[in-house]
Amino acid sequence: MIDALVLVVVAALAALAVFGLVTTVINRPPDRWTRLAVAGVVGLLVVQAVIAAVRVFSGVALPETSTFLIYLVVSVCVLPIATQFATAEPTRWGGAVIAAGAVGTAVAVVRLQGLWDAAGG
Amino acid sequence: MAERTSSGFGRLLITVYGIFALSATARAGVQIATRFSEAPLPYLLSALAGVVYILATIGLARRGPGARRLAWGAVGFELAGVLIVGALSVFDAGDFPDDTVWSAFGRGYGFIPLVLPLVGLWWLWRTRPR
Repeated sequence: MIDALVLVVVAALAALAVFGLVTTVINRPPDRWTRLAVAGVVGLLVVQAVIAAVRVFSGVALPETSTFLIYLVVSVCVLPIATQFATAEPTRWGGAVIAAGAVGTAVAVVRLQGLWDAAGG
Repeated sequence: MAERTSSGFGRLLITVYGIFALSATARAGVQIATRFSEAPLPYLLSALAGVVYILATIGLARRGPGARRLAWGAVGFELAGVLIVGALSVFDAGDFPDDTVWSAFGRGYGFIPLVLPLVGLWWLWRTRPR
């Protein structure tokens, strides 16, 4: 984990959550811009997951490696699945679904950071 | 004709249930696999909560009277679970050395475990057949 990247990722997730909630409030179904925003955020998450995984497998010792790796997978997978589910039925609630996915992912990233810090990494 | 529980707002509800199903089950799985003997009761409760969330997610996502009964049962059980485990963990902390998703009424999860079943019951009632 890289502290600056964690900050960027969490900020991006927060922005995505707000964006999703706004589309729900103004009664718009998810559109192309929503998909692009999700793709951008997922891209950041993939970069973070790859860096963290490489560092774990190249020797950074963690107290709970399996938990860390599960959270790492979850942090990447939740948003694509949520977005698929959100856009399958184009209603105003699609944005709120993506927002829920973004908040869940942010919690996972914060937990990841906590596990990483516990190792003094 | 019953409204579908999986449409509109129901999608948001299913998403939140899905996230809790995933996190509670995964957490319980790791706890039971790595250190079951430390606190068997809370870890088994975590696993039970995970199963209940999975059943609620399926019940809400699928159509038909059977799925609706499943959702009523799972969400009702979930409300009872969070209230009973919440109360026990507050008044008898000794039996709960490690947190479950329902401990202290779900405080570790922003009290969402307490609010979620209430919203779920409201949504099932709102979309009831009539």
